[in-house]
Amino acid sequence: MEELIYKLKEEIIDVLNLEGMKPEDIDENAPLFGEGLGLDSIDALELIVLLEKNYGIKLKNANEGKEIFKSVRVMADYINEHKTK
Amino acid sequence: MRNKYHIYQKSHYIISPLGKGSVCNYNTISMGESHLQSYSGYWGIPEPFFASIFDENDIDLHRSSSQGQAYSRFESIAITAAESAFQRAEINPDSKDVLFIISTTKGNVEQLEKSKNPDSQSDAYLWHSAQRIAGHFRNPNTPIVVSNACISGCSAQLTAFNMLQYNDLYKHVIVIGAEVLSKFIISGFQSFKALSPERCKPFDANRCGLNLGEAAAAIIYSKSTETESLPDDTIIMEAGAVCNDANHISGPSRTGEGLLRAIHKVTEDFDTNRIAFINAHGTATLYNDDMESVAINRAGLQDIPVNSLKGYYGHTLGAAGVMEVILSSIALQNHNVLRSLGTENPGTAMPLNVCMQNSNTNGDAFLKLISGFGGSNAALLFTLNQHR
Amino acid sequence: MEQLFDVVATCRISDKEVLVNQESILYHSRENEQDWLSTIYHHIGLQYPKFFKMDRLCKAGILGAELLLKDYTYDHETVKDDWGIILMNAASSLDNDRHYQETISEDNYYPSPAVFVYTLANIVTGEIAIRYKIGGESSFYVMPDFDEELMRELLVQAFNADPKLTHILYGWANVDQDQYDVRMFFCKRRGNIKTSINNPS
Repeated sequence: MEELIYKLKEEIIDVLNLEGMKPEDIDENAPLFGEGLGLDSIDALELIVLLEKNYGIKLKNANEGKEIFKSVRVMADYINEHKTK
Repeated sequence: MRNKYHIYQKSHYIISPLGKGSVCNYNTISMGESHLQSYSGYWGIPEPFFASIFDENDIDLHRSSSQGQAYSRFESIAITAAESAFQRAEINPDSKDVLFIISTTKGNVEQLEKSKNPDSQSDAYLWHSAQRIAGHFRNPNTPIVVSNACISGCSAQLTAFNMLQYNDLYKHVIVIGAEVLSKFIISGFQSFKALSPERCKPFDANRCGLNLGEAAAAIIYSKSTETESLPDDTIIMEAGAVCNDANHISGPSRTGEGLLRAIHKVTEDFDTNRIAFINAHGTATLYNDDMESVAINRAGLQDIPVNSLKGYYGHTLGAAGVMEVILSSIALQNHNVLRSLGTENPGTAMPLNVCMQNSNTNGDAFLKLISGFGGSNAALLFTLNQHR
Repeated sequence: MEQLFDVVATCRISDKEVLVNQESILYHSRENEQDWLSTIYHHIGLQYPKFFKMDRLCKAGILGAELLLKDYTYDHETVKDDWGIILMNAASSLDNDRHYQETISEDNYYPSPAVFVYTLANIVTGEIAIRYKIGGESSFYVMPDFDEELMRELLVQAFNADPKLTHILYGWANVDQDQYDVRMFFCKRRGNIKTSINNPS
């Protein structure tokens, strides 16, 4: 699990172009959206693509993202449960 | 009135999947018809989508120059719209007092799929394509391309207005709005989760996204120092404004600030009781329609009937502002307010008087609103010339 | 015709050099490992993390605007409807369109919303408007070359059409296949006007 969390942080930094950030800078229990990383609606859509591209998880609608992207840990749990690749 | 000239519509033309000709399109939508339908496996796009697309065999999509050079689908429909507008206006397009303004967001972007080598992608450059369109008519001026995302069509009309108002070289400006769809555009809107899986429902409580559509529309604007000599029922462009929200590149402002400022600019010194209807953008996305409802309410115009034409054609991007102004102009001339097709139960952040049935009006003006990516908003105000 | 406005700041970004008010402030040296636009970003000490999410056209436009405005003091928080922005280029957003096209190839089809959002030419005017809170006229034109006569005409029309307008950020911002050509200007309506900006001290 911790390995997946670390990998996920690296992927998030990469696809969302979080310049100057390292995986250690992201608290896996902190909310991804709202305060903190300064992410917006386009970032949320890009995370949906990440789920599909890297883990073969297809979300039916964008609203599901709201629950899944609560924190990196919640996201990792979801991936563990649903990944197809 | 600061305006030196009265800027009026000399002629116009629409080519859409619903039909050819402005009046033909108007009559068809007055009967509640639409070409919006589901496409599955189209253009190699994995997910199905709902859109309004030209019949691939339509000859007006496959035109060529007198030297036999083939025009793209985009150039073909733009040329068709312009050619018919010039015929109706009885104006020579090769004159130096005629300026071409072309409104599009993506032009020939489908070229990128056909040729991966940047050096052979000249057709994808909007200015290049514009020169082929203006060149078809042997017009001697460099055409101006306006590319302001979804508001391009209204932006282009405002540029035309200013060019006629302030530049004595030009007597006529043709504004051509055209857009064709492609895998590029559809996949992008799908990735935004912005598309509705069925006919879009502008201003509806259950709206769930937009539909995309193809079309080309052209309006020739001319100028006159007085209105007495203009025919009865001529449509006059009174004012236009473009304002930025400075809020977000893809999300409309929650407060409708930019659109409100644009509305204020065009309606100041104007008796808003004259406004027969507001032809809004009404894309049927959650945020756009809410934003428009907020701006219209803040401007105090919430009792005026509002419609969106997206339920007939979908969002035709660079063509939308031009085509919707033409259809609204004909509606005003017929003292009619077109029904907002697709709206069942209006439900926006602030209440609007959405037009649910075609209805009569005594007003002699309409307000066109449009907003888009990049945070831009436009408002245009038109009146009906009536000799009393 | 009477001159309506004065150019109060200029900047230029080419592949080789950055100039502000005609003075060179940075040369592009080959030793630098970073890409050219990031080098400029760090050189001028810009602090705007969103920069790194942008496509190259928007990055170039933001840098141009920053170079023009960095010595002025003005209200960064309130939207200024007396400022406008008019830009022009030849390649529209094609540089980024090619990038998006790669995300929808048949064998690797994952359309990227973060790339698609930059496939419109006028997003650069939007990004500049957001960063500097410019709420007046905002327009983008596509022409084969920087048509300075047309630009002058558009500026005169904008100032004439909107009496409230005091400043316009304008110019040419073109990015195409690693070629950068930014020529941006900041101009001020002539005469004794009430403005939301103070001159550089």
